Amino acid sequence: MSFISVRGLKLALAGGALLGMASTQPSAALAQNLSFYYPVAVGGPITKLIDALASDFEKENPGIKIKPVYTGSYQDTIAKTLTALRGGEPPHFAVILSTDMYTLIDEEAIVAYEDMVKTDADKAWLKSFFPGFMENSQTGGKTWGIPFQRSTVVLYWNKELFKEAGLNPDKPPATWAEMLDYAKKLTKKGSTGNVTQWGVQVPSSGFPYWLFQGFTTENDVRLMNAAGTETYYDKPAVIEALQFWVDLSRKHQVHPPGIVEWGTTPKDFFEKKIAMMWTTTGNLTNVRANAKFDFGVAMLPANKRRGSPTGGGNFYVFKKSSPAEREAAVKFAKWATQPERAAQWGIDTGYVAVTAAAWDTPKMKAYVAGFPAAAVARDQLPHAVAELSTHENQRVTRALDDGLQAALTGTKTPEQAMTDAQREAERILKPYRR
Amino acid sequence: MSAAAHGRSAMEPAGIARALDTLGAWVLAILWFLPLIYAVWTAFHPTEYSARFDLAAPLTLKNFADAWSAAPFARYFLNTVLLVTMILAVQLVLVTLAAYAFARFEFFGREVLFALVLVQLMVMPDVLIVENYQTLRRLGLIDTLLGIGLPYMASAFGIFLLRQTFKSIPRELDEAARVEGCGFLKMLWLVYVPLARPVYIAYGLVSISYHWNNFLWPLIVTNSVTTRPLTVGLSIFAAVDQGIDWAIICAATLMTSGPLLIAFLLFQRQFVQSFIRAGIR
Repeated sequence: MSFISVRGLKLALAGGALLGMASTQPSAALAQNLSFYYPVAVGGPITKLIDALASDFEKENPGIKIKPVYTGSYQDTIAKTLTALRGGEPPHFAVILSTDMYTLIDEEAIVAYEDMVKTDADKAWLKSFFPGFMENSQTGGKTWGIPFQRSTVVLYWNKELFKEAGLNPDKPPATWAEMLDYAKKLTKKGSTGNVTQWGVQVPSSGFPYWLFQGFTTENDVRLMNAAGTETYYDKPAVIEALQFWVDLSRKHQVHPPGIVEWGTTPKDFFEKKIAMMWTTTGNLTNVRANAKFDFGVAMLPANKRRGSPTGGGNFYVFKKSSPAEREAAVKFAKWATQPERAAQWGIDTGYVAVTAAAWDTPKMKAYVAGFPAAAVARDQLPHAVAELSTHENQRVTRALDDGLQAALTGTKTPEQAMTDAQREAERILKPYRR
Repeated sequence: MSAAAHGRSAMEPAGIARALDTLGAWVLAILWFLPLIYAVWTAFHPTEYSARFDLAAPLTLKNFADAWSAAPFARYFLNTVLLVTMILAVQLVLVTLAAYAFARFEFFGREVLFALVLVQLMVMPDVLIVENYQTLRRLGLIDTLLGIGLPYMASAFGIFLLRQTFKSIPRELDEAARVEGCGFLKMLWLVYVPLARPVYIAYGLVSISYHWNNFLWPLIVTNSVTTRPLTVGLSIFAAVDQGIDWAIICAATLMTSGPLLIAFLLFQRQFVQSFIRAGIR
């Protein structure tokens, strides 16, 4: 208890110091130096792209200096940010997972955009993003994050293997039943009985909850409430969804058994060890460059409905900053998400451009015309839901991940695994329900 | 011929033992070497061949070029070398003096102090990240090479290791040196340090490889290209959202660990000899 009050005191002191600083600063545009943390989660020259963004912005906005700091993976980034925050020196703004929103709010680290934007144009900007991306960026009626590098899960299929199996190469599975049916036809066994080619692969290492959200959303059930204080891991529809995933490998044997590595799944696809895979749209550029065969990209198959989770990182603005610094940070976020730039960023990285306007730019239209698969993610967005995110996100998600892996490896039944996961999540989240 | 056969049969048990020894050594060496061979194979071939063995596969240096251009590795190399050298140099001085004091001097609170040093061994460095960060910030050392190294300079492991070594050096040598008129520091320099040389070498190896590979702390405490070590540059390739490109990862890994490997191969005779001498004494 006592350390909380000490922290409160420190914050108050820091706040006081800031106010003091702000008032002594002349209101004329003094040079603003902003530090900006960003992770790299996809291949390609991301650090160079970000550096270029920052220097372009500086050219157009003299008086503002951006210092981009590469901060490792998303996990490293949140670790570094929280350390710097407790050390009293957080960045001015950062790209961090959209799912870390509650963590950052609980740490009193970030400012809501509603408290920073003033003009109507800015307010309109807040409304310009795809609603699917905003679900993870808003809570309690406020916007805490601005979508920047966002992705979603889609299905990739190998048209050549479809042809070989006597399937229509241009028709991806639209439902679970179809996917299972196709997968059965696409699974090949060698002379000794081992499988040489699997029908479908859904990776389950690292963050299985994300792909599992594909199954649960399609089964028309949500894993958590919008306030981030409750989870529904043990609902019958969730267990049913897990049962389907487990059955793919254990009962129907059209999916590799056990835990499937996320990182090597695209490679399995390139080497024709699998005919269909579920993975992020962030892989689009990679698959396009490395698949030596005709491939297609489709929305995830539906069961009761279509559905897929969104993922990726948002811009957050940190509290420990002067009003002028906040204004400059918001300016950068707004600048970086302008249609032209959002479109270019999407084309360069494979992330889904975050506003409808970005998809209407000539640049994006030309790109989609040459590569229609790029638009699948956008078309799926109306069906997309928020990525699993709650207070104490790491631990609550971990409970589900452990349950999923236990079920996939067969150490627990889906029902048992989900009941245990729910009990654990319940225990962690209890203090947040007041 | 028959004499030879005779001789061999007499030697049989020892011969088998030796053959087993050699065989065991080869198996261990190959097991140790396999990942390295794989890394070399993968790094010099196009990505398509990273999971397929084909002697006719085309050789390429493209992976190295790609890896080298993905981050300012030249600067990172310099930073890492400076960092590792600085840490080791300061560690050697501090650790020697502290170990000498704990091993040979009687003073009030010695046991308690030594226990406190040992406690440092029990604490995982990662737990201290936030506390260390705050301290360094007060000292104004965030985003400096000194800031990365400072928390590691008073090494409890080194103090413990050297104290035990110094303690095992016979008092007679010590006394003889004193009869010859050596002061404490001269005695340390002429008697203790030379006798502990193998331990210094072993400790130096551990220290260098640890700090060459350290990632999380340097990432957290630095923000600029001018202060960041190699591991931070390497981590760009560990971004798995897009799947793993083994070829480029292997190239980058070989590139960054290469100097250490080469140094070890060059100096391995000295290393091994110093360890053997340590055993004979």
